[in-house]
This record gives sequence, structure tokens and C-alpha cells, in this order.
Amino acid sequence: MARFHPLSVTDVTKTIRDAVVVTLKPVNGGDFDFIQGQYLTFRQDFDGTEVRRSYSICAGKDDGVLQVGIKKVDGGAFSTWANESLAPGMVIEAMEPMGSFHTPLDPQKPKHYLGFAGGSGITPVLSIMKTVLAREPGSRFTLVYANRGVNTIMFREDLEDLKNRYMGRLTVIHILESDAQDIDLFTGRVDAEKCKALFEHWIDIDSVDTSFICGPEPMMLGIAAALRDHGLTDDQIKFELFASAQPGRLKRRAASTSAAAAAKSTEATITLDGAARSFTMDKDQSVLDAALENALDAPYACKAGVCSTCKCRVLEGEVEMLANHALEDYEVAQGYVLSCQSYPVTDRVVVDYDQ
Amino acid sequence: MTEDTMDITDYLAQGGRLTNPANVPTRYRAELMKIMATFVDSELAGAAGFADVINAGPGIKERIAAARIVLEKTDNADKVLKLMGEFGANTERYANHHPWADRLPRDTAPGTARNAHDMRLSVLNYPLDGWTDAVVMNLLMGLAVDVQLAEFLTSSYQPFAEAIREVAPRETRHTELAAEGLEKLIAEGGTEAVNRSVAYWWPRVSESFGAGVSPRGAALKAMGLRSRSNADLRDAWLQRAGAALDKLGLDRPPTAG
Repeated sequence: MARFHPLSVTDVTKTIRDAVVVTLKPVNGGDFDFIQGQYLTFRQDFDGTEVRRSYSICAGKDDGVLQVGIKKVDGGAFSTWANESLAPGMVIEAMEPMGSFHTPLDPQKPKHYLGFAGGSGITPVLSIMKTVLAREPGSRFTLVYANRGVNTIMFREDLEDLKNRYMGRLTVIHILESDAQDIDLFTGRVDAEKCKALFEHWIDIDSVDTSFICGPEPMMLGIAAALRDHGLTDDQIKFELFASAQPGRLKRRAASTSAAAAAKSTEATITLDGAARSFTMDKDQSVLDAALENALDAPYACKAGVCSTCKCRVLEGEVEMLANHALEDYEVAQGYVLSCQSYPVTDRVVVDYDQ
Repeated sequence: MTEDTMDITDYLAQGGRLTNPANVPTRYRAELMKIMATFVDSELAGAAGFADVINAGPGIKERIAAARIVLEKTDNADKVLKLMGEFGANTERYANHHPWADRLPRDTAPGTARNAHDMRLSVLNYPLDGWTDAVVMNLLMGLAVDVQLAEFLTSSYQPFAEAIREVAPRETRHTELAAEGLEKLIAEGGTEAVNRSVAYWWPRVSESFGAGVSPRGAALKAMGLRSRSNADLRDAWLQRAGAALDKLGLDRPPTAG
């Protein structure tokens, strides 16, 4: 089960105007020995609302630090806070590293990796790049790095340093959308067509063993299509869609079918293990989440309406169940619901986990 | 460039991949969790059923094979359960919250009946009846699993596809072990008992592919979580299982509908 652990912030450095690199140190517990390319999921409370955000680790395995890169997104609560308020000495919470954006390392086997990064999508690719260059002495890395202009390139100096350190083994191709470059090919967007042109003159695609792509959706699709056209198979193409592009899923809104219930909150009474507790809950919140938030040890497993662990019975009032993949019709008829999928419709609900 | 995004539905319809719990839409999440829970529950139920068979193994090699199958199927479940854990599932409670070894009575008619609220494939609700029966079931079901896992290798949820990439070769090995076991049983004169078990399991494995045209099929396809229909998968299995039986000189039971 995914748990949050405290991490102390030891350093915050700006890499470009609107992006920071945050260095972290586990305070007590949690296995933060990451695999290159993995990400951390943070949680932070903003005015009573918990926001969870995932950011890729940008450090290599041998850097000896735990670092993530956070680019400010317009209107993004977490990224703005991280860029403007986060400072050394503060403690933030994160889950242990997750993600499968990596391939096994093999120092004996020389490989050619081809990485594609769009903007802040560089973070996991940088982690992979640093790690394979250090741990696979015979491997090469070609990076195609897409940015709007020169001043939005994250880790520009780090990349130069790496190129110097691993002379001949690292190639970096910057593609800039709005800044003109000496070579026309290096201006514009990275799409299928651009890839095709790169594969003709600049990148020996036949020698590529594995490709890593991290960027926004259209870029990923275009690159993947081009790679497949050039003979790469699914197990040779690794994707990381960066999470910050997606809106937060925290407040799952119940489809408001009923205009009758005007109030935004509900008086709830929940019985668990023989004890009943009453509180006011938001109608945008599931019965299960409300119970957990009010210190009730409500049972749950999948939180997706799948496993039926969170089954409970509605004794009074009405809830709307968004998904049900576990309960039979007769159980629903008897008032059983999956609490993880149930949102109050009436201004009062009474729920029992013991029946 | 980096601010460019597109509608996630279009992205998936065009073959896009999602890579972590933070970027999956709610409906997608529900369907993905159901698929992963089906896999996890089937592996756990399969391992639990096979655990009882270890002691029925006629020799040490057979017992090692059976024990290995139990170990690896449990480990396969763990790999995918970890991913469910990233979505908030209680992975510590999961293995123990449910009686995975429970089965329906042996004479229950083939169908999609379930005896408990878990997501195991229907075939795993039927009890094994001794060593020969277990080996036959393992072969027929193993071939079905191979067909189903091939479907998940292209799943739009990248971490799941990666997990299946690790799991699939092991499952294939289990099926090979079953074929080797059957060859031995047949060589020892057990053909009749093997044919009896084939007749029992054949319709039950066939049913586990579900309805030919699933109303959810199109939605799952649009999300990139499935690519072929249940009927297509069943046909692929019929072909492979039929060929496996032919190779062993066994009777191929009639296939209903």
C-alpha cells in the first residue's frame, strides 16, 4: 500500500526562470533508493484541499542525491508553491519512487539509446541518461530535446557538462520552436515528419536499441509513430507522459443529476465496528473518503468499484454510485453500495459498514 | 511546445500510452483496475488451487513443478498488485481478505457462475480433482492465458504492459511444464483419465473468455486497454488448444456455440 513519508528539503535551485530543482532527504523511513527514470508523488494541503502531484527524479543513480525538477505550470497550485515558497529546511511528503520508465542496466552490453524530451519532460530522461552513461561504459545516448526557445531549456549547462564528460558518447540535438537556428531542421516542432528527417541525416535509427520519450501527448504520438515506421517494436519504446499536463483528479465531481438537492454538503452518520459517528461532508467527496478523513478505519482495497472490500449499506438518504463492478443487482436493491464510488445526493445520509 | 496537450480520449484512440496514476481519467482507471484485479485474482486463485495439488504429485519432479507454479503465479499476482497499490489498493490486505482457494462443487455446469465477489476468471471457480486433472487444466488454461496476456502486452497503460512482459514468459513455461507432464501421464497409460479431464475442462476454459460481443468491448478498445474481441481470443485459443491435443493424440471435445 502506498504510503507517504516525510522528506526534508535540503536545496532549491532555479534552473530556468520558472523551474526549480529540489533536493530531498528522507527524514524517517521509506525506501527512496530509486531506479533511474522513476517519479515521486507529493501531497500538499492548499486551503484544506489535498493536492497530489507527481514529478520525475532528475538525478542519476550515482549522483548520491534525490532530486526532482518542478516546472511552474500556469494556475498549478503545487508547482507555483514549489517555485515560489519551497525553501531548504522545509519538510514535504512523498510516496516511495514509482514508475517503469526504465530498462535493466547491463555494463557488459554496449547499447544505443535514443531519448526524446519536451520541455520539463527532460527530468526522467536526464536521470536515465546520467545513469546509463555512468554504469554502461560502452553505451551511447542521443537526446532530442524540444523547447520553445533557448531561455526555456532546463538543465542546459548540465547537458553541456555531460557532453564533455562523456566525450563521443552523448549527442544532444536541441529543437527550438521559436528561436531560429543555423540548421533549419533544428527549428520547429518535434513531430513524425521532423523525426523522419532526423532519422535520414542525423540519427542512425537502425542502431537504436531502446527509445525513451517524455513529453506532451501530441509529441509522444508523433515520435512513437515515426519510431514504429522505422522498425522499432513496442518493447523498444518507453513512454512517460508527464503528469503535470493533466488536471488534478482530486475533486472527483459526482455528475449532478439532481437539482433538487441544492446544499453542497451532507450530514452523514457512518457506523463502523459498532460505533456510529456523525459529521458534515462535501457532496463532491465519496462516502469512503469522508469516512477515512474522519478517522474511521473504513475497509477498502481498489477504490475503483472493483474489489467490493468497501461495501456498505445505505440506511437513510440516497447516494449516487459512479461505477459498480462488484455488487450484484440484488445487493444494490437491498441498499448496498461501494462506498469508494458513492457520492451523497440527499442532504442527509446514514451508512453502515457492519451490515 | 511543452504546454501543448490534447484531449486524453483522442490521445488514447490514437494509440497513446498512459504512464502513471496521476494521468489516467476516472473511467479509464475503473476499467484498468478491473482488468488488473481480474489478473491478480486469477493468479491468486490459480496458485491457491494448485497449492493443494503439490502433494498429489506422483514424483519429486512433479512436486517441484507444481510448487514452482504456485510460487511464480503468486509472484505474478504481486507484480500487478503493486501497480494496483499505486492507485490506492491496500496491497497488504489484498492477499488475505479473500478465500482464494474456495471453489464451486465439481459438478457445477460450465458457465460464468462465480462463488464469491472476486474478479477471478470463471474457470478458476471449479475445483481440481487430483494430479491428472490439475495437469490437464494447467495445459488448457495455460494456453488461454497465453492468448489473453498477448492482448495485455499492448495495453495503453504502460506499467501494466511492462509487468505483463515479465510475466508472460513464465506463464508460457508453466504451460510447457503441463504439456511435458501430460506426455508422461499418457506414456504411463493414463490416456483415458486425461481425456475425461479434457472433456471436463474444455467447455469451462472456453467459457472463461466471456461473451462473444461484450458491450464494454468497444469502450475498452477506444481506451487502448483491449484490442481484440472475446470471440477472437476464444478462436485463437481453440486453434492452439486443438493443436496441442492433436499433438498429444487426445480427443478434441466438441465446441459449443
